[in-house]
Amino acid sequence: MRKRESLLALIGTVVLVLTLSIPVMQCAPAAEEEVTPPPEEEVTPPPEEEEIQYGGRLNVGFPAEEGIETLICDETWQYTEMGCVFWPLVYDQLWILGPAPDYEPLPRLATSWETEDGKTWTFHLREDATFHDGVPVTAEDVAFTIEYLPQADPAWAYPDCICEPGSIKAIDDYTVEFTLEATIGGPYPAAFWMPIFPKHIWEPYKDDMLSYANYPLIGSGPFKLKEFKPAEYIWFEANEDYWGGRPYVDEVVFRTYGSEDALYMALKSGEVDIIGYSGCSALVVDDFRETENIEVIVSPGIGMVWLSFNLYKDGPLQDLNVRKAIMHGIDRDRMIDLVYLGYAEKVDSFMYPELADHNPNLPQYDYDPDLANEILDEGGYIDTDNDGIRNDPDTGENLSFELIVPSDWTDEVKAATLIKEQLEDIGIDIVMKVLDLDTFYEYLYVPEEELYDIGFGEEEPGPHADWIWEFGRSYEAGGEGWNTAYYDNPDFDEALDKMLAEVDTTKRREYLYEMQMMMAEDLPYGFLVRPDLINPVRTDKFEGYVETMGGVSTWINPWTYFEVHLK
Amino acid sequence: MALKGFASFAIRKAIAAIITIFAIVCVNFLIFRMVPGDPIRMMFRDPRITAEQMQLVREKFGLDKPLWEQFNCYLTELFQGNLGISFWQKRPVLEVIADRIPQTLLLVVTALAIAVILGTILGAIAGWKTGTKIDSFILGISLTLYSVPTFCMGIIFLLIFAFQLAIFPLGGISTAASGLTGFGYWKDVLWHMFLPAISIVLWYGGEYVLLTRSSMQDASGQDYITTARAKGLKESAVLRNHALRNALLPVVTITGVNLAFAVAGIIEAETVFSWPGVGRLVYDAVMKRDYPLLQGTFLVFAVAVVLANLVVDLIYGYIDPRIKVGKSE
Amino acid sequence: MLKFLRELEKVKGFFQLLLTNKMGVVGLSIFALFAIVALFAPFLHTVDPSKTGAVENILLPPCHQFWLGTDDLARDIWSQVIFGSRVSLVIGFLAAALTVLVGTLIGLMAGFYGGRIEEVLMRIVDFFMMLPMLPLMIVLAAILGPSIWNVIFVVSIVSWPTTARVIRSQVLSLKERAFVEASRCIGASDSLLIFGEILPNVVPLMFAEAVLMVTEAIYAEAVLAFLGLGDPTTVSWGMILHFAFESGTMSRAPWWVVPPVACICTLILGFTFLGTAVSDVLKPGYREIRGL
Repeated sequence: MRKRESLLALIGTVVLVLTLSIPVMQCAPAAEEEVTPPPEEEVTPPPEEEEIQYGGRLNVGFPAEEGIETLICDETWQYTEMGCVFWPLVYDQLWILGPAPDYEPLPRLATSWETEDGKTWTFHLREDATFHDGVPVTAEDVAFTIEYLPQADPAWAYPDCICEPGSIKAIDDYTVEFTLEATIGGPYPAAFWMPIFPKHIWEPYKDDMLSYANYPLIGSGPFKLKEFKPAEYIWFEANEDYWGGRPYVDEVVFRTYGSEDALYMALKSGEVDIIGYSGCSALVVDDFRETENIEVIVSPGIGMVWLSFNLYKDGPLQDLNVRKAIMHGIDRDRMIDLVYLGYAEKVDSFMYPELADHNPNLPQYDYDPDLANEILDEGGYIDTDNDGIRNDPDTGENLSFELIVPSDWTDEVKAATLIKEQLEDIGIDIVMKVLDLDTFYEYLYVPEEELYDIGFGEEEPGPHADWIWEFGRSYEAGGEGWNTAYYDNPDFDEALDKMLAEVDTTKRREYLYEMQMMMAEDLPYGFLVRPDLINPVRTDKFEGYVETMGGVSTWINPWTYFEVHLK
Repeated sequence: MALKGFASFAIRKAIAAIITIFAIVCVNFLIFRMVPGDPIRMMFRDPRITAEQMQLVREKFGLDKPLWEQFNCYLTELFQGNLGISFWQKRPVLEVIADRIPQTLLLVVTALAIAVILGTILGAIAGWKTGTKIDSFILGISLTLYSVPTFCMGIIFLLIFAFQLAIFPLGGISTAASGLTGFGYWKDVLWHMFLPAISIVLWYGGEYVLLTRSSMQDASGQDYITTARAKGLKESAVLRNHALRNALLPVVTITGVNLAFAVAGIIEAETVFSWPGVGRLVYDAVMKRDYPLLQGTFLVFAVAVVLANLVVDLIYGYIDPRIKVGKSE
Repeated sequence: MLKFLRELEKVKGFFQLLLTNKMGVVGLSIFALFAIVALFAPFLHTVDPSKTGAVENILLPPCHQFWLGTDDLARDIWSQVIFGSRVSLVIGFLAAALTVLVGTLIGLMAGFYGGRIEEVLMRIVDFFMMLPMLPLMIVLAAILGPSIWNVIFVVSIVSWPTTARVIRSQVLSLKERAFVEASRCIGASDSLLIFGEILPNVVPLMFAEAVLMVTEAIYAEAVLAFLGLGDPTTVSWGMILHFAFESGTMSRAPWWVVPPVACICTLILGFTFLGTAVSDVLKPGYREIRGL
């Protein structure tokens, strides 16, 4: 009985939070044009009075290149769409990020946690959680995972789970304690976004976790893996023994489609109920609006798009004025209209505009070709050889930059085409270089090899996004490959360290404001847009899709799978 | 005597095939050393990987040794059936490919069998009736089909039959998580196979029509046909017993060589219809820049073609003794 | 010199013969049509094919202003297809020229000198013919990176062996002919023999091979682009198709897919007709050599 209560309480929270979130969502400028009528479940009476039906199979479609082919716990669990949605269904975590708009840390396997200094953390676990094979989840399992998972693959090694050697202790069966190498301040506890593995199964593979095929998969999450067919589908079923009560749907099936067209057709024909992650292209949104039984949910995006200026490489890009002129030369409104068909908003920082930590006073680089021309003229960048391209006063060479973009990012390829066209007008030549994704990252993450001038950047910081600021940490101050601009500002590094260690929210915000200001003024990154997420969902069978930033199904939003139910 | 001749012929052919395979292995090794940039770096999407971690992986893949040693190592491993570890799937390449082979065989064997049978029959008719309206009709159709690349055909089929008319599935090999078994499952697979198979059949069948037709034309001009006709045999009997038999021999030889071309059709059809076979794997490996996997699929396709050629050669040599004598002496 | 001209007369005869073949005429007409289109591209109601347009013109169906509609950046598809024919033809011709040049040279060497040289060259040729072409092209294109020059290079390196084999067989039979023997007797040098006596006799064969190679190259460009190995900054038929396939709007905007597919198929068909006609004219010797 207690189980049911806690689940209902959870639903209550979700629905409440959702109701509260409606006005916020509508404030987002890009979504304004399209005021979605509040989805039905948000106006339904409180869940206590409602009879929610169990059953049904939720079919979810993914594009083939975002699917997973194995169950190995490698970086595909972080960097592919299916990978980062699938494991939160089958593995429980210590705590998870709550739904919009507060994104509070909500207890899962841990019922509570405490820390004195942000370094040593104690987590108290719930006693009624079991793995899918019936073995109880204990502190041993948590300690095992925290110790070995970050070593398995660098993709799991975040500062909030890298511990001092020997500091991980299972104090009793349901209490675990560990000491981090770095101090974690801020509103969120340590060990974020981490599946808890059953020690009794993984023990033999602890030194090379990637060598374990992980099938049959044993987790402790609300869903169990029923069948996995590589390159075809993943089939989940509800975990009847889940401590929080089983989810409403009986089954969830993830499957892939070879092309976007096929995926959209599958949604239209009812073969799938939702698109698993990135929703649909703005080009087809009208089609879906006209289709019966499909509702289009437009959410503010989770991804940010920017330009990284390679500041390591000698050349005119070192000149702040050139970078400013470039930003003034890019017509982001036209970009939003043409590439995203209006479904995007302009951004000026790594921080989402609706969050309280976003600095509202940042300098803006609006489209102003006259100003851009003026800046360049003043800087001495004059077209001396009359070929339409300005020349560097020092070397006499053309002001020509190589812009790299991966071929998989279709929208960004289009944006790059537009940037090239627009910068031509202010006498800057852009050589577009479209690379495959892996080569692109290889180029981008080693700026000192001078393989590019300007690179596209796209990340999904999410609401709990301290890690995104590592993009600004200088290499001298221990920065890792993320600093693709080769930004080097000791003041920034200092503010960053202080921010990370700061527990007090107001002080933290001051540092964050400061960091955002420095970045906006120094322009190592030219922030462009935040594309909306357009999620067409089928409403003939199911209701209760949960919406957060980034749409109904993302790495921060497993809620849809927990809450969706038959009509 | 004849058997001894055949044995030596077979041994010579087998040795030639082994040399070819060895050459393929060498080329395969060398091509992939031309990869620009650092393949280890490309294995990781995460930028935080340290130099030490990369070094570890480099050692794991044997990429830290000099080229000659790498080659040595590559050969030894290959001999033990180890094609390396897929960057993308983190498991042995051979395993990844082996998982996909049954699906590809199913599609290819079905499609090629239909293509060869249909193509040969139509080609024989066209060749026998050279110059007639039927001939020009068949020739025109097959030339046209032969000119349409499989992926173009696939896209058009997908557009019409799956998207617009919705009478065939959108891709894949079976209905996801259907729970079907036995007959029901195979019916489902056949339904999924229809469009990809037909795109291969049309293109490859077109080629067979052309082959058989010209072979038939040559055969029908031969003396023995004239003799047979002069003996007053029925036209159909001449066709069946004399012309067709002789016309088919060259068609059989060509089958082996043509497999090298059929591979293209497989890759294209599997990509368009997301058929989970080796062809689609080539596409995936390209997209993920998974070089060991790409290397592995290339090797598998090349060796398959060489072996198929060997088999065809041997069968042909066994059937037609003239070949042996002509080539060995 | 006079002799060379006489040989050229033979070549001319070959082309005249070709024009009496129905398929040859159809093939040549298709080719001529595309050549004219490519040559006069700027005058055929076209705009800059990579210039993005106005927001309201995104994905328009064919209309008065945009004869074949527009794509997802409101670019004119008609212009893209028209300018795309340039890319396809350039790739086709350069690749064919390079292939036939290399193939002929090696075929001549092997056929003329024989012995060890022939042995080695032919082994290489046999080896290459054994390789599955598309995977080899994919591998090379993936490693070399996307550009039309790489496509040309890749097609040539994969295709020259067939040409070499065909030319060699022809050279072998030519070498024994009386006129070559005669020239040899009067003390003609090797190079004179090769280029003065034998080469003109293989020109029709070279032409036949070139025709086949053009289809290879056009196909290769299209399929590599479709598989995502093309150069996205070049407007080619394969790239148009690739973008259409990636956009997820194929079923909504068939006008984006059908024209490039139709062009690829028609042009390949034209060259296939031409090739069939050429081999009909050269028959039966050519067929035997080529294995067709």
